[in-house]
Amino acid sequence: MPDLGDKAREDFFSEAQEIVDGLSGDLLRLDEIVRRGDSDAELVNDVFRAVHTMKGLSGLFGVTMMSGLSHELEELLDDLRLGRAELTSGVMDVLFRAVDLFGRILIAARGDGPEPADEVKELLASLGNVADTKAGGGAGVVAQYELDPGVLGVLTEYEEHRLRVNLQAQNRLYRLRVAFPLATIDTALDELKAKARPQGEIITYLPVGDGGDPDAVELEILLASKVAEHDLLSSLAAPNVVIEEVKKRPLAGSSDRLSSGRPVFAEAEIGTGGKMPSLRADESREARPSQDEPSPGTHGAGTMSLKSVSQTVRVDIRRLDHLMNIVGELAIVRGQVERLAERTRATPQLREINAEVQRLHRAFERHLTQMQNGILEVRMVPLGQVFEKLARAVRQISREVDKPVNLVVTGAETEIDKLIVEELSDPLVHMMRNAIDHGIESRDGRMMVGKPTVGTIALNAFQKGNQVVIEVEDDGRGIDPKAVLAAALRLGFTTQDEAALLGEKEMLSFLFSPGFTTRAEATHLSGRGVGLDVVKTNIGRLGGVVGASSDLGIGTKMTITLPITLAIMSVLVLEAGGHTFCMPLASMEEAIFLDPREVRKVEGREVMTQRGQTLPLVRLAHLFGFEENDDMRRGEPMRKYVVIVSVGPKRAGFVVDRLQGQQDIVIKALGRSLRGVRGFAGATELGDQRVGLVLDAGALLDDAVTLGESRQLPEARA
Amino acid sequence: MSRDVSRRNMVKAGDPRLAQAIEREPSAVLRLPIDGPQECLLFLLGNDPYALPIGVILEILKLMPITTVPRAPEGVAGLASVRGQLITVLDPRPKLGLPDRPQDRKTRILLVDSGEEIMGILVEEVRGVQRFEPSQIEPPQVLGGEPPAHVAGVARNEESWCLLLDLRPILEVR
Repeated sequence: MPDLGDKAREDFFSEAQEIVDGLSGDLLRLDEIVRRGDSDAELVNDVFRAVHTMKGLSGLFGVTMMSGLSHELEELLDDLRLGRAELTSGVMDVLFRAVDLFGRILIAARGDGPEPADEVKELLASLGNVADTKAGGGAGVVAQYELDPGVLGVLTEYEEHRLRVNLQAQNRLYRLRVAFPLATIDTALDELKAKARPQGEIITYLPVGDGGDPDAVELEILLASKVAEHDLLSSLAAPNVVIEEVKKRPLAGSSDRLSSGRPVFAEAEIGTGGKMPSLRADESREARPSQDEPSPGTHGAGTMSLKSVSQTVRVDIRRLDHLMNIVGELAIVRGQVERLAERTRATPQLREINAEVQRLHRAFERHLTQMQNGILEVRMVPLGQVFEKLARAVRQISREVDKPVNLVVTGAETEIDKLIVEELSDPLVHMMRNAIDHGIESRDGRMMVGKPTVGTIALNAFQKGNQVVIEVEDDGRGIDPKAVLAAALRLGFTTQDEAALLGEKEMLSFLFSPGFTTRAEATHLSGRGVGLDVVKTNIGRLGGVVGASSDLGIGTKMTITLPITLAIMSVLVLEAGGHTFCMPLASMEEAIFLDPREVRKVEGREVMTQRGQTLPLVRLAHLFGFEENDDMRRGEPMRKYVVIVSVGPKRAGFVVDRLQGQQDIVIKALGRSLRGVRGFAGATELGDQRVGLVLDAGALLDDAVTLGESRQLPEARA
Repeated sequence: MSRDVSRRNMVKAGDPRLAQAIEREPSAVLRLPIDGPQECLLFLLGNDPYALPIGVILEILKLMPITTVPRAPEGVAGLASVRGQLITVLDPRPKLGLPDRPQDRKTRILLVDSGEEIMGILVEEVRGVQRFEPSQIEPPQVLGGEPPAHVAGVARNEESWCLLLDLRPILEVR
C-alpha cells in the first residue's frame, strides 16, 4: 500500500467497509425484488455506483485485487443497468459472492487474514458466462413521442435505455416543469423525487435555460408513469409544478433518434446539473471518498461549488472513550461539589453561599448528564448494520442446506454501542446457522407436520430499559429439554439429585456448557448446542447474557440481552468484609434481606429457598478471604443482604454486609500486573479518591460453584 | 539532610509522558553500573535507607486511599486513583523480607514506569536527593555473602549511606 498515513488508511478501511455493508443491504433488497420476478432500476444503479466508488477508492489505496474485481463487476453492472444483460438469480449469486469477497479482501488488506486470490480468480472466470447479453430492441418506440430533439440529444445511454423500457411497457410519459429557488434546490428536488417515485420513474431532469429569475432554477423533468394525468396532478401538484403529458406523434418518424438541429441546452449551461452523473468519465475524481450519493443540482446554474453536502464526521471511538473518561472525572468533581454544598448548609454563617453553591451544583449536574448522554448517543449505531450481514449469511446457509428460509427482521433501528455491534455478528451468525441447520426441518419434514415448506426465522430487537434484547426465533422442530437433560447427566454436567430441581429453562441452559452435545443418543438434536458455549462466552464478554427457550415441535427462541453501552455501567455498590465492591446490575436479578432462618446447610453449603427455587449462597467476604462484618446493632447482629446474581444457567446469592446504592460508573481496566486476578472486571473511582473494584459476576459464579461455601482462602492466583 | 524534592523535577500525573509510558517498549528501570554522577532519591524501606536514580521516579505522592485487591499477587498493596488514572500500588517489603511499618503521614508513593504500566511503590518516608560519583558506588558484593536480588549497589558520600534499589524483582508481580 502506498504510504498515505495511518489516518488516511483508517479512513479508507472504514469507508470501504461502509460501502461493503451498504452493498450487501442493497443486494438483499434487490434479491427480494428479483425473486418476485421484478426489477428495480434505481437499486441496480445504487449498486453500480457503490462498486464504482469502491473501484476508485481501492485503486487510490493500491488494493489492486479489490480494484480489479470492482472493475469487472462494474462492467457487469453497467450491462445490467443499460439493459444489455438480464438480472437473474445466477447474476445475484455472483454479486453476493463478490460482496463477500470484498469483505475478505478488506480483511486481508488490514493484514488480518489471507488474500482470497483463488476465489477472486474463480469469480472473475465465471463473470463472463453469467450474464446473457440481450439485444437492445424497441429502439423505434421513442421516436413515436413528441419529444424535443434537444432533450433526446442529451440523454445518456442509460436514460435512453430507461425511456425505451418504460415506453415499451406502455407507460405514459409526462413532462414536468418545476421552478426551484436556488438556495433550496437540493432539498426541494429530493422532496419532489420522493413524491414522484411511487408514481413512476424519473427518466431525466434538465435545467431549462430561460433564466428569467437569477435566484431560481427551472427544471424540465421527464417522468414515465402508469398513472393518468389527473391522478399524477393530484399527487404532485404544487404552485411551482406544471405537468403535461407527452403525446404520441400522429405518425411515427423513421429515425429513432432525431438529429438535433438546434441544441436547446448548450453543454456549458447544463454542466453536471440535472443529469445522472456520468460515472464512466474521469473516475479518479468521481471516486473521492464520499459516501453521499452524488447530488444532482448542487452545482446547478453556475454556482460551481465544491462544498461537501455531507454534514457528518468520522470519529475514532477511542476519542469518545477519552471524552467519556473526562466525563467520569467531572462526575467525581460533581460529587465533591455536592459534599461542599452539604457542608456549607450545616454552617449557619454560610447560608447565603450555600444557596449559591446548591444552585451551581444543580446546574453542573444537569449539564453533566446531558454531556454524558450526548457522548453515549454518538457511540450508538443501529443494529441494522449487523442484521444486514446476517441476512446475507442466512441466504447463503439456506441455499447450502437447501432449506428455504424467510428471515423476518424487526427492530433493526434499535441502537446499541458501536463496539458491541462489532462483536455481535459472529455469535449471531452462529445462532442463525444453528436455527437453519438444526431447528428448521427439511422440506419433506415440514410438509409431514403440516408446516409451510418455507421456514421462518424471526430476528427481533428491542430496547428494554438500559438493555437491548435480541431474539432469534425459528419455527423449527424445537428442542426437547428432557433430551438435553439426559445428555447433561450422561456427560456429568449435573447429578440426578440436582436434576430433580431443574426447570425447563435450566435444562436448556446446558446447551451453553462447553463440550455439551446430544449427539450420542438423539440424532434429531445432533450438533445442536455445539459452539453455543462460544456464543455464550462472546456475549458474556460484552456484559450480556444468552438464554434459550423452546416448544417442542413448534420452535426455538434464543434470547440475547446486552447492555446498551460499554462505556457506562450501572452497578450496585456494596460492602463485604469492610471492603467496597461494585456488582454490575446487568448480572443481577435482585437484592433482598437475608433471613437467617431461611438458610439451610446442604453438604456443607449454605442454600436458601427463594420463590420455590433453591438458591446456593456464597459469603462474598469469605470468597475473598475477608472476615464478615459481624457488628451488632441493638443487641442483634446486623442484617445482611443477598445479592442474587445469574449469568447464563448459573445462579447464586452473594451474601454481603451492606448495600450503598446504585451508581452509573465509568469502568477502567486493571493494570497489566493485575490482569491475572480472577473475579474482577475492572475498577472505578467512586469519589473521594476511593477506588471500587467491579465484580466479574460470571467468574465469581464459577468460583462459587467450584469452591462451594468454604472459609478457606481461595488460591491467590488464577 | 539535603533539599526537599518532593515536587521538583518530577513529571505530573497529567503529563502526556504518563500516558505514553504505557505504550512504550519495556524500559530498563535501572541501569547499573552507572557511568557518571548520579542524583538519587533517598527513602526508607523497612527502616533501611534505599535510593533510586531520580530519573526513574515520575512523581512522589502523599499517601492516598489504597483499595485492597483480593486475590492479588504478593507485593500488591492495592489500587489508587491518581487524577483519574488507575495505578497499581506495590508494597515491596513482604517480598523483600523487610519489616513492616504502619502507614503514617510520612508514607509516600513513588510513581515509576515499569515499562508496561505506571505503578506506585509504597515507601516509609522520603529523605531527599543525594548526588553520588561513580567512585562512591560499590557493587552489592561488598555487603558480603550472596547479595539480595533487589540491591543493585551500595552508595555512600560524606552525608549518607544507602542501598541502590533494583526495582525489577519488585515490579515482577505476575
